[in-house]
Amino acid sequence: MSKPEKIDLCKQHKDEYVTPTKPVLIEAKPAPYLAIEGMGEPGGEVFQDRIGALYSMAFTIKMTRKFEGRQDYAVGKLEAQWWAEGGPDDFSKTPKSQWRWKLLIRTPEFITQADLDKAVAALTKKGKSPTVKQVRLETIAEGRCVQMLHVGPYDREGETVAQMLAFAEKQGLKCHGLHHEIYLSDPRRVPPERLKTILRLPVTKS
Amino acid sequence: MKPVTAQIYEERMLRVLVHIQQRLDEEMPLAELARVAYFSPYHFHRIFRGMVGESVKGHIRRLRLERAAMHLKQTRRPVTRIAFEAGYETHESFTRAFRDWFSMSPSQFRKAHRSLLRKRVPSGVHFNPGGTRVAFHPFRKGGEPMKVEIKEMRPMRVAFVRHVGPYDEVAATWERLMTWAAPRGLIQPGAMFLGLCHDDPEVTPQEKIRYDACIAVDESFQPNGEVGVQEIAGGTYAVTTHFGPYSKLGETYAALCGQWAPQGGYEIRSAPCFEIYLNDPNSTDPEDLVTDIYMPLEDYRHVKA
Repeated sequence: MSKPEKIDLCKQHKDEYVTPTKPVLIEAKPAPYLAIEGMGEPGGEVFQDRIGALYSMAFTIKMTRKFEGRQDYAVGKLEAQWWAEGGPDDFSKTPKSQWRWKLLIRTPEFITQADLDKAVAALTKKGKSPTVKQVRLETIAEGRCVQMLHVGPYDREGETVAQMLAFAEKQGLKCHGLHHEIYLSDPRRVPPERLKTILRLPVTKS
Repeated sequence: MKPVTAQIYEERMLRVLVHIQQRLDEEMPLAELARVAYFSPYHFHRIFRGMVGESVKGHIRRLRLERAAMHLKQTRRPVTRIAFEAGYETHESFTRAFRDWFSMSPSQFRKAHRSLLRKRVPSGVHFNPGGTRVAFHPFRKGGEPMKVEIKEMRPMRVAFVRHVGPYDEVAATWERLMTWAAPRGLIQPGAMFLGLCHDDPEVTPQEKIRYDACIAVDESFQPNGEVGVQEIAGGTYAVTTHFGPYSKLGETYAALCGQWAPQGGYEIRSAPCFEIYLNDPNSTDPEDLVTDIYMPLEDYRHVKA
């Protein structure tokens, strides 16, 4: 079911999507994403509604282009940036219902706003929720980042983040951007202790 | 569930083997052979292959060659006639087949001072002039036992596009389904993609293989153009996981229908198998693909032992 000429961003940018289970420094080049923002508990109603909108847009754009005979590509993995009002240390103090996030799917450079508009029109015509209009095309430039593969339940990311922060400090670096996660496993099918998630923290010289 | 014993499976397959021996010169449609021992015609060929260790065609061809070898030794009939009796239209094609199996030509074999040679086959079934007694040892593949789970499934409503043709060309059919499904917001994390396999590629000619590319939908979806809606039957299923490329699914099917079911004595229901694709072939290397295979079983809870 696959064709060799297909573009797969995860494979093209192995340095950003293949990460060991110990902290490393990487350079995340500016890249376009489909993005949608929200606030609320991960897995909660709002969250699920936004994920639905993001995936609907990602696949409608892809299939519409494919149908028109334009360059095909693999839809990327789900990623997300997370923040709490009080900064990175504030997650544990902030109730999950107040967590803010931006859900992302990396997208090839040739996707334009016109592709998004067309997909919104198609989805709206089929009666999909108006949330799809909130999906934007956004370039994210993180630059130098500390990155590490977290294996295990999402609730235990704190331990991995602690290792990453210790590593950054040793290098004379400090965090200066949003906590970024790349979901490599499907939580519906993979047991929590085997979930693989790449954690990324943009850093700068302190 | 109380599975019928593996013993009964063997006895039934034995009936098929005797039936074949007694009718070596007749056309034997698979459906007829399946009926002889009440096997589901859907899955009969895989059961046969699994238990006997060769395809039905290969089995019949070999028995005819063994009979031809006997005739070469015991009669003075011309080779061309023996070839014809074995089902070959030309001397050359017979010679080629004979040499492939016995490693010498029919005329060399006739001249050689050698008794009837028999290449061993795993099932132990050889041509038997009487046609009634057949020794039979069900073929057993070595290695780790298969991991199979028995599951009770509810009926599943799916939207589908029918593919007719070789399995390796289903990608285009999937694209048509995906093009329909995407703007309806159906392609989501957790969406269920299934393949309903109506035909066994070892039995049905490539260009006639029917396969439905399916995505699970709720009651609100109605048939739309080339996209149909159907319900996949619920009930008892044996489920095993295939790891690796789709091109090797056939091997796992064969092991499930032909080895696991007969050895465990599970009766396969006369309904199509289906596959659930657990990852995206567009962004996954073939070696890393994971597919669950569902094989329908008779539910013994409703049958008196």
